[in-house]
Amino acid sequence: MSAANLPQPAASDSVRMIRLMGSVSLICGLLIVGTHIGTMEPIRRNQEFITKETVSALLPGVDKQAVYSLVNGDLQPGAQPNVPVLYAGFDKQGALIGVVIETSERGYADTIKAMYAYSPDLQAITGFQVMELKETPGLGDKITKDPAFLDNFKKLDVTAGPDGKPAHPVVTVKHGTKKNPWEVDAISGATISSRAVGRMLAKSTATMLPLVRKNLDRIRKGN
Amino acid sequence: MNTQSLGHIFIDSLLINNFVLSVFLGICPFIGCSNKLSTAWRMGVSVIFVITVSSVLAFGTNLMLVALGAEYLRIITYIVIIASTVQLVEMFIKKTSPALFRALGIYLPLITTNCAVLGVALFQTAREYNFAQSLVFAIASSAGFALALILMSIIRERLELSDIPDTARGTALVLMLAGTLSLAFMGFAGMGAG
Amino acid sequence: MPHDHGQPAPSPAENMEAFLDGLWKQNPVFVQVLGTCPTLAITNSVSNAVAMGLATLFVLVCSNALVSAVRKLVPKQVRIATYILIIATFVTIVDYLIKAISVAVYKALGPFIALIVVNCIILGRAEAYASKNPVGKSILDGLGMGIGFFIALFSLGSVREILGAGTFLGFPLFGPNYQPWVLFLLPPGGFFTLAIWLMVFAAWKDRKKRREVKTMAEAA
Repeated sequence: MSAANLPQPAASDSVRMIRLMGSVSLICGLLIVGTHIGTMEPIRRNQEFITKETVSALLPGVDKQAVYSLVNGDLQPGAQPNVPVLYAGFDKQGALIGVVIETSERGYADTIKAMYAYSPDLQAITGFQVMELKETPGLGDKITKDPAFLDNFKKLDVTAGPDGKPAHPVVTVKHGTKKNPWEVDAISGATISSRAVGRMLAKSTATMLPLVRKNLDRIRKGN
Repeated sequence: MNTQSLGHIFIDSLLINNFVLSVFLGICPFIGCSNKLSTAWRMGVSVIFVITVSSVLAFGTNLMLVALGAEYLRIITYIVIIASTVQLVEMFIKKTSPALFRALGIYLPLITTNCAVLGVALFQTAREYNFAQSLVFAIASSAGFALALILMSIIRERLELSDIPDTARGTALVLMLAGTLSLAFMGFAGMGAG
Repeated sequence: MPHDHGQPAPSPAENMEAFLDGLWKQNPVFVQVLGTCPTLAITNSVSNAVAMGLATLFVLVCSNALVSAVRKLVPKQVRIATYILIIATFVTIVDYLIKAISVAVYKALGPFIALIVVNCIILGRAEAYASKNPVGKSILDGLGMGIGFFIALFSLGSVREILGAGTFLGFPLFGPNYQPWVLFLLPPGGFFTLAIWLMVFAAWKDRKKRREVKTMAEAA
């Protein structure tokens, strides 16, 4: 075998070790950086594709999309990290169909992340889609696909009150007791997950809708 | 950005999403070190120690990596941090409390291969916790690990003299018990969801 | 494949053995009970199990190859650190590749991709096999162990998805009236399914041993 098994002076041994660790780190570093640069573009495209798809699904007939970020209570064009983001969708004629807003709330098992569509003309929520959840399969995950539950969000009333917030906050009621257009009919057997959806919409509409309304003219013009 | 309250994170990672019984991290030491109560609590204490320290270090390192735009080095730096934390904690305990060192002695090096340690560092980054949240998360989830380990060791001590079919002896039995414990812990889900 | 000096080229039979050992006789999950965390966490659907199995296979083969290639250069004192560095590199690469291929898969596996670093199968193979054997054999060993791990994940994932959701790879199997046994998708189901598989293997080994004893007794 090589010199490794022979007794060596300590100094040259550690030099050897450092040189070896250095060259291994160099190879590893090059491999990682290469992959990082090589995959940057497809990763960005993938993520853009998913949000675009969701926005199109929530706002039927959408042709053009614009992104805004909420920075210190103000709307700014473009997506920025670590702040709430909203997407505006326009039809072929360039008229605003609605905005899509991200929201999240603690559910039964873990945080549920979702997006909902808001139409300024109808003053109502017109669509709701769960992006991420870990709710109990077969029970809590019904909030993603139960047709009767999703019907709640075809036109959920969030008409503005005097302070710009919805006059009647969105609230989840027990299955089969929905009376008002701002109530969400819970799924029986998935009450906690359904309530989480109601809470996330109530919270998000209270902060986001006044801002959307304040900046509506700017959003309509697309800048 | 993550707006979960500290109390919520604590209950969540201690009971609801218990690291061993629900997230499946640290299963190897859970199976390996749960045959005696005395072993289990020592292992548990060592893990709480190491996870808390490495979580703080990982938080600082992540800030640095983000500032440098070098997030792609995260996995490598975290694993280096954990290996050195274990070494540091070992030296620290040896200096400050020889009695504790004698008690924990052989368990400390084993922790490097405990995936719960890397798990805490990765989860706190993925969930974008701030410093206080990370700290509570680290303490609660490692305490959750210790809790599961201690519960299992108590059950296994009781079963020592029972007559168990040959095929179920060893790991299979531990997994069956863990499944039952996990079922029991599912009862905690929904706490804090209102 | 780089030619290895000083050692005779391994025979095809030896190569075959290096490959086959991991599949069944030394199956990393069912026989050695290693890598239990991802085995339990990622097997609630067949597609997740397949993705995790392939990711681990990739890391295992690459790290075995590189560890074996540098095995004569690495001094004993720093070998574990070097292996971990090599493994972490390939895990980072696989992390980015999965993100680039499919965001849905990336979200389903979550931090468990990064946790491949601490999967004891990989470090175990680096230390026990790749550090002592030529590159070709180490790659075969990695393939065998990786496929063995894949088989284990796949069999757990199948049982859990079929019982827990009544589907296989998302296709419904039993018609609309099947009431799924949700427990198997939940964490306890993971523990129970692995326990049952381990018992099946133990019973199989037990039977084989008894049969061997019987034939020996008959011969004598």
